[in-house]
Amino acid sequence: MLRNYLLTALRNIRRNASFSAINIAGLALGMTCSILILLWVQHEKSIDGFHENSDRLFQVYERQYHDGQIDAGYFTPGQLGEEMRKVLPAVEYGTNLAWEDKLTFQAGDKIIKQSGNHAGEDFFKMFSYPLIAGTPATALNSPVSIAISRKMANDFFGSPAKAMGQTLRFENRKDLKVTAVFENITDLSSIKFDYLINWQTFLENNQWAKDWGNNGPRTVIMLRKGTNPRTFEASIKKFLDGYNKEQSKKFYIEMGMQPYSETYLNSRFENGKMSGGRIEYARLFSLVAVFILVIACINFMNLTTARSVKRSREIGIRKVIGARRISLVGQFIGEAMVIATFAFILGFILVFLLLPAFNSITGKEIHIPVTDSAFWLCIVLLVVFTGFFSGSYPAFVLSAFQPVKVLKGTMKFSNKSILFRKGLVIFQFMLSVILIIGTIVVSKQVGYLQHRNLGYDRENVIYIPLEGVLPEKFPLFKEEILKQPGIAGVTRISGTITDISNGTGGVEWEGKDPNSMPMFTQAGVGYEFVKTMNLQLKAGRDFNKDFATDSSAYIINEAALKIMKLKNPVGSPITFWQNKGTIIGVLKDFHFQSLHEPIRPIIIRLMEKNGWGTALVRTKPGQTKQALAGIGEVCRTINPQFPFSYQFSDEEYQKLYKSEQVVDKLANCFAMLAIFISCLGLLGLAIFATLQRTKEIGIRKVLGASITSLFTMISKEFMLLVLIAFFVAAPLAWFALDNWLQQFAYRTEISAWIFLLAGFAAMFIALATVSYQAIKAALTNPVKSLKTE
Amino acid sequence: MIKITGLEKIYRTEEVETVALNKLSFEVKEGEFVAVMGPSGCGKSTLLNILGLLDDPDAGSFLFNGIEVAKFNERKRADLRKHNIGFVFQSFNLIDELTVFENVELPLIYTGVKTSERKKIVENVLDKMQIMHRRNHYPQQLSGGQQQRVAVARAVVNNPKLILADEPTGNLDSSNGNEVMQLLTDLNEQGTTIIMVTHSEHDARYSHRVIRMLDGQTVMENIMA
Repeated sequence: MLRNYLLTALRNIRRNASFSAINIAGLALGMTCSILILLWVQHEKSIDGFHENSDRLFQVYERQYHDGQIDAGYFTPGQLGEEMRKVLPAVEYGTNLAWEDKLTFQAGDKIIKQSGNHAGEDFFKMFSYPLIAGTPATALNSPVSIAISRKMANDFFGSPAKAMGQTLRFENRKDLKVTAVFENITDLSSIKFDYLINWQTFLENNQWAKDWGNNGPRTVIMLRKGTNPRTFEASIKKFLDGYNKEQSKKFYIEMGMQPYSETYLNSRFENGKMSGGRIEYARLFSLVAVFILVIACINFMNLTTARSVKRSREIGIRKVIGARRISLVGQFIGEAMVIATFAFILGFILVFLLLPAFNSITGKEIHIPVTDSAFWLCIVLLVVFTGFFSGSYPAFVLSAFQPVKVLKGTMKFSNKSILFRKGLVIFQFMLSVILIIGTIVVSKQVGYLQHRNLGYDRENVIYIPLEGVLPEKFPLFKEEILKQPGIAGVTRISGTITDISNGTGGVEWEGKDPNSMPMFTQAGVGYEFVKTMNLQLKAGRDFNKDFATDSSAYIINEAALKIMKLKNPVGSPITFWQNKGTIIGVLKDFHFQSLHEPIRPIIIRLMEKNGWGTALVRTKPGQTKQALAGIGEVCRTINPQFPFSYQFSDEEYQKLYKSEQVVDKLANCFAMLAIFISCLGLLGLAIFATLQRTKEIGIRKVLGASITSLFTMISKEFMLLVLIAFFVAAPLAWFALDNWLQQFAYRTEISAWIFLLAGFAAMFIALATVSYQAIKAALTNPVKSLKTE
Repeated sequence: MIKITGLEKIYRTEEVETVALNKLSFEVKEGEFVAVMGPSGCGKSTLLNILGLLDDPDAGSFLFNGIEVAKFNERKRADLRKHNIGFVFQSFNLIDELTVFENVELPLIYTGVKTSERKKIVENVLDKMQIMHRRNHYPQQLSGGQQQRVAVARAVVNNPKLILADEPTGNLDSSNGNEVMQLLTDLNEQGTTIIMVTHSEHDARYSHRVIRMLDGQTVMENIMA
């Protein structure tokens, strides 16, 4: 029986090559999308899952309560990890982690910048980053230890074996000893580093981090086997009370923790609670995968049922001969499975071919996990689901045909089944229209992020890290650079202006409510900061070296002024971290964080002589190249121990929206595919509909119908379906996208033209698809079409 | 073998009510060869569909081998049909996607005969019908006469007790038509009951008895010499 079904299926495929091609191509594309998305989601979900102790690794976070609000995040005191290990018996290991930093190393005459991090001595005992040389116990246990990657070992010493025990000069400041070499970090790790320096060195260079009142580094702990994470988490809630002397009613910090492997996908806090993060994109694209697969399956259902008139005779005969309904259902589902299998083979080849391009969009290194049985199980489920789902409707419709009617040729589809089929087309186009609208809105938002006026001019600004002797020789450095061609201005800042996030509650002013402790963002800058960045002053003036008192001068923004409620801010006294001073200027609000965040109150102080930071160099438009040559020359002369490096402000700004840009690109691709697959289905239906109506069209022509009227007659019906689909899709899309945009503090509008554009695009594409068939049918010589009977 | 009493079938559309069978009664004994004749629209085909358990009557009784089958459900009808009844149609009704062999094999598949046995039975039948040499051809590669022989082969492959033929020679030229009629006669002589709807007086002469119908009723019965 099975053989018979298979034979009929294969011969049917061959005999109706064009229909089969449309069917298989549609399903194949649908599966390609699904498999790609499956691989992507799987990859996202597996990030940080490779650590053997994954179930015992937890990331500590803080919840800061102040002024009736809760700020939560992974920032913690700089000695928390080690301290927790020392005093809490349930903690087996604990480490702090800083941030990825590009720093300069030297061995012999080789001077290279490398990206890496600082970590505590427990790091390699907790995490499963394989060591090529050295042991987890000794990798980071001395104040001079450094662990480096295979790549960095090769860069400096030729091989991991030769690197062990060698000395690396770090920032021309301290000699470190290579105590371990680890395998290069794969993209399955959320943290990336080519070196890890021991934590003592971090604390030496960042004295502030020793203060329990300051937060910044991350803390990860590993619990002992058998510890219940929930009860443990409850027990550390008030852990900081014994350390942070600033804990008070108006500013209180609680601790919580989260499984480390979940932090990559769930890292957003809202009101002190976890509220998603990247996981939302994983979910969103899983949904898109299902959408696309359903669209492809609907194609199959529609084409198969529409075409079934042709096969009705076969069904009739089989029934007359004695086939039961159930065996016919089996036969049709079986056929769908065969087609789904073909589609899968084609789809898999496509996945294989598209993977490099997909990787370059997503910035991942995804491989097809050919040895993973779970993956193949998913694939089998995908094929079975596709075959079963798309085969089920035709199977039940076709198997219900009455043999007497089909053999006599009097069989007609019931209105119900025609309506259902139209419903399927509407559903399909509804999904497509939602995807089109989604794509436009996402692109619009990404464009908005890229082009929004930030309140300062981020074009033509170059960041130069202040390292080596540059911080202490900054005045000389500035003077020399200003002599170079193409330079419009030079200033400095403690971090970068694209992302300032250091918070403090240590601000006092006249009239401050003693029970409140609002948080301010703070930054240290150089002279002429306002002028160089083209910031707008609302009142007062910029930092200026002509004013000797500027070392105790502060500039605030409008948001800060709103909180401080000062009538005449300029000249008002202010105390910052116990240092008394005066407000000299108020800036109009500008963006110093990603546009996900609202503009917070900021307080800016003068730090012309700070030991670290970034030089901000504004170049004259169109003269970046000359300017860079000049700056490079100055850097090499003043700071010969460090390779010249720089970043463009604009590029740094774009990095804030990396995931939005990926989503934008992916959404574009998938929306196009969805509409393409829908059109394949529409094309099939159009072919079929014109075929069915050949005789009618012939008679109409004989009676004098014009080609235009015939064309309208045929395409009108399809246009109506797309139109209905649009009206269903529009509110759904609006709802979903409005929801998505909520995560941005600054967002584009969902304007009416987007809907009109999407609607017209869908109509136009559908019309283009149908029109070839419609024109062909309308042009057919009636003599020919009437003879077919 | 077949006894129908007061059989009625009425087709209704929104405006028109057509009486296809009007209290029809007759009997067919085992081993008989009966021809049913009458003008178009007299209810011949409806009768054949009901006799073949493809359609059910609105009223009346239908005894098949002494069992009342008028109220059988679809599944029971399909079971009875596949074991007892073979069909031959005017338009052959072969499945285009299957070869001659596979077409003839199909009823055996549905009755659950084993593969090895099926091969034997089908080859035997094809041999008898003298189309063995065409076993791997597709229907559209055959002449009309050959196609109808395949259809007859398919109808008899299960050894049915009853063959229902709906104008079996209607699409054939006279020599091919005669061949098919001869085939049916041979089958009848071997004991198979045959009921044949026909327009052709020539074909009717092969039968034992002719039932003539008009407006859903029998109007006359002739016993053939």
